[in-house]
Amino acid sequence: MIITLINILILLITPFLMIGIIKKTKAFWAGRKGVSIFQPFWDFIRLMNKESVYSETTSWVFKFAPIVLFTTIFFASLFVPLATGTAIINIPFAFVIFSYVLGFGKFFALIGALDTGSSFEGMGASREACFSTIVEPAFFIAMGSIVALTKINSFENLKMITENAGIYGVLIITLAVITLFIMLLVEGCRVPVDDPTTHLELTMIHEVMILDNSGVDLGFITWGSAIKMFIIEALIAALIIPSGLPIWLSILAFLGIILIISISIGTIESSMARFRMTHVFEFIFIMSITALLILTLVTYKIYGN
Amino acid sequence: MKLYFISILLLILGGILSLFFKEEYKLKFCSIVAGISTFLLSILSFRCLITGTICSKTIEILPIFGGINFVVDTLSAFFILIISLMSLLGIIYAIGYTEPYQNKKMNLNSHCLFLMLLIASMLGVVIVQNSLFFLVVWEIMSLSSFFLVIFEGNKKNVLNAGLKYMVYMHISVIFIIAAFALLNIESGSFNFNDFSAVLSKNSQITNIIFVLALIGFGTKAGLVPLHNWLPDAHPAAPTHISGIMSGIMIKTGIYGILRMIYLIGVPSKLIAYTVLSIAIISALWGVLYAITQHDIKRLLAYHSLENIGIIGIGIGIGLLGLVFENQIMAILGFTGGILHVLNHSIFKMLLFFAAGSVYKKANTRDIELLGGLIKKMPYTGLLFIIGSVAICGLPPFNGFISEFLIYAGMLFGIQEGNNIAVFMTLIISLAALALVGTMAILCFTKVTGIMFLGTPRSEQAQKVDSDVENTMLIPMSILAFFTFIIGFFPQYAIVPVLAPVTMLLKEKSLPTVFNSVVELMSTISLLFFILLVFLIFMIIVRNLINNQNRQHTTWGCGYNRANPRMQYTASSYADLFVSTLKPMFKRISHIKKPKDLFPKEAYYKVEIEDIEEAYIVKPLIKLDEKLLSKFERIQNGNMQQYILFGLIFLIVAIVGLIYLG
Repeated sequence: MIITLINILILLITPFLMIGIIKKTKAFWAGRKGVSIFQPFWDFIRLMNKESVYSETTSWVFKFAPIVLFTTIFFASLFVPLATGTAIINIPFAFVIFSYVLGFGKFFALIGALDTGSSFEGMGASREACFSTIVEPAFFIAMGSIVALTKINSFENLKMITENAGIYGVLIITLAVITLFIMLLVEGCRVPVDDPTTHLELTMIHEVMILDNSGVDLGFITWGSAIKMFIIEALIAALIIPSGLPIWLSILAFLGIILIISISIGTIESSMARFRMTHVFEFIFIMSITALLILTLVTYKIYGN
Repeated sequence: MKLYFISILLLILGGILSLFFKEEYKLKFCSIVAGISTFLLSILSFRCLITGTICSKTIEILPIFGGINFVVDTLSAFFILIISLMSLLGIIYAIGYTEPYQNKKMNLNSHCLFLMLLIASMLGVVIVQNSLFFLVVWEIMSLSSFFLVIFEGNKKNVLNAGLKYMVYMHISVIFIIAAFALLNIESGSFNFNDFSAVLSKNSQITNIIFVLALIGFGTKAGLVPLHNWLPDAHPAAPTHISGIMSGIMIKTGIYGILRMIYLIGVPSKLIAYTVLSIAIISALWGVLYAITQHDIKRLLAYHSLENIGIIGIGIGIGLLGLVFENQIMAILGFTGGILHVLNHSIFKMLLFFAAGSVYKKANTRDIELLGGLIKKMPYTGLLFIIGSVAICGLPPFNGFISEFLIYAGMLFGIQEGNNIAVFMTLIISLAALALVGTMAILCFTKVTGIMFLGTPRSEQAQKVDSDVENTMLIPMSILAFFTFIIGFFPQYAIVPVLAPVTMLLKEKSLPTVFNSVVELMSTISLLFFILLVFLIFMIIVRNLINNQNRQHTTWGCGYNRANPRMQYTASSYADLFVSTLKPMFKRISHIKKPKDLFPKEAYYKVEIEDIEEAYIVKPLIKLDEKLLSKFERIQNGNMQQYILFGLIFLIVAIVGLIYLG
């Protein structure tokens, strides 16, 4: 019970801090002092108190979409192993439910964007939908391979790789971390796939989809996206942290990994520009390649002799 | 068994009697008759599914057929349930849909008759177990649906599509005849029961027969590469017919395949891999082309391919489980596949009906001309969104349940597998199913977004003033209700599916593994309720912090006079994806470039043709024409020569008889 409470607490608080840390890192590399790491939270509160502006073109779909997006992301986060190494709800085939629940939210986010009748938002929706067609199969190949390796079909299996793969474990974990990290950049819309701070509508992906959202809706969307990034980071953490640690240590390690990933996202964003749209595809395809490499290694491990 | 016959005869009788009614009352009368008959049938078949009792009767009609076996086992009962429920909804929908066609000399007479005949023959297909009579009923089904497709036969493209359908159906029936003929030679009988003795030997001949049957039934079901009739026939047919054909009729092909599997028992590896790989290709092919289509009914037809593919993947996983004696995998695969048969008929009919309502109001099927309809047709819009979410296999609707079962089957196979080939196949199918899912999301966000959201893109869409009448909304609402029920109570929804699965596994009673499947489904149901509670909670929270709202125009980068033509179109929405996969499509662009100093007219339009049709079917037809045109000389209209041909034939026949006979 206490473990679940700790997890929920971390799930609610950390995403904002994570965004704050990314911003702080970017400020550090730019030589600025930067805003406080609690600023995203204050931004959220401010958005909650603002009035919303709705386009005359929109229907109920537009108002409904942010809520669905947020709810599904929050719901999907319940299946992911969090700070203490256990998920709040632990069920078999969690990763299938995880990605389909996120898909439900994405569906509404996409039609919500199309509801405005703006060509910018249509463009963003088209890109978002298109990229996820590359991300999902790669994710499924990687997870399927890990299921085959560990013989466990819930997300708990991420922790069991070393026990099962022996010497190949390190390699598999590295590849899996790369796969998930690219997924994080795509789903979290960070540089080099997308730039959350750009103000050029033509080059944006996720940000351009929510151009017309304001007030409470925008607040929920930003919180939702933060949680989405956070849960993918949590998956990476689950890969790295071995099982069987004492709870306090595993919480510490978890927070440490979140911190490191956030700092590295900030560093990447300060050190490079976003890719041209055609190159984004090539970048995301790296994910498929690493996933296939995981598959190869796992196949070799199981059937190799 | 008598009651089954009575209800089927009632359908045919209703069709004939409807000839004597006024055009306004024809379909109402049909729906009452069909209502009585299908009510009876669904109760009977449901009882059969729960209790597992098999009824059978042998009747002698003509000496050539021998004794015709009519058998209702659980597999047939499951299909009877789907056919009776769904076709009733189709007929009720037709009352509203055919209204504009009444009293315009459109020949509603034959339409009603053939509609009832189609339903009766579909029911016949699933209960007849005599191969010769099966072919007769199968042919009645194909023909009656052909006449239904060419309802608007005065339009040239409708007639062409109808003829294409006819040709494909007869190619399919040739293969089925070949399969049955081989079976007859081997077993010396026309009865399905005697076939299983031949088929279960699992020799080379079994594989040949199965592949022949797979081609034959697969054409009906719309499996790649013999799928081309689907995207043409569905747009040509009136909507309720498209709904019935896509929702139910193509499932008779699946029934045929399942029946063959049942007769075979434990199939060979070859069969399992063939089914799985064709299914994967169909699923990918269907959704890939669906993304490129802008005719809503054509798009939905391609989605039928996709869903038949998913059903096939489920069956393929089940077969792999049977072959490699992995019971849980077999159960999950078959359960997922067969449940998807039901699910697909629910949401595909829902989508077709909603599309038909839009067609009735806006008079166009081109989604590029629509937009903003959700404000004028709120119910149809909502129902279409429900259908789209369901067909994408997203929770908490019914599509997810069946896809999840298939995933679970694959993952159990992956987990316990000890064979590298199976492992690789399963991983590929896992990735393929995930890919199909995300592409379906791309496709259906396109359709919903462009058709119902945004602002109207043409005058036709502007002119739509109200939603369709209740007789059309009610069947759609019932279907939408089904998607919810199956989504939220999967543990009960899979109960009717378990009986046919048990039959396919050749088990006497429900294996104990089923309990764990039902348990899994209860977990899913619980999760969905949590999701629902969350969603409701969040909506309440959202309304509590309801601040002031303001209306304004859509943000246009500072430009405030955005017009509907500036919106993203369906082509542009799909373009990023389509251009990434260039070699998969044949693009036909119609372009008129702006000219002169003050350009007046310019347009760019792109159509995408199925490469299988463009590069394989069309060249084949050309070759065929070229070859056959050589024989034109024989057919010269000269009667004397024809008599000569007849004479030559007779002489040859007699000489042949003397020497050979």
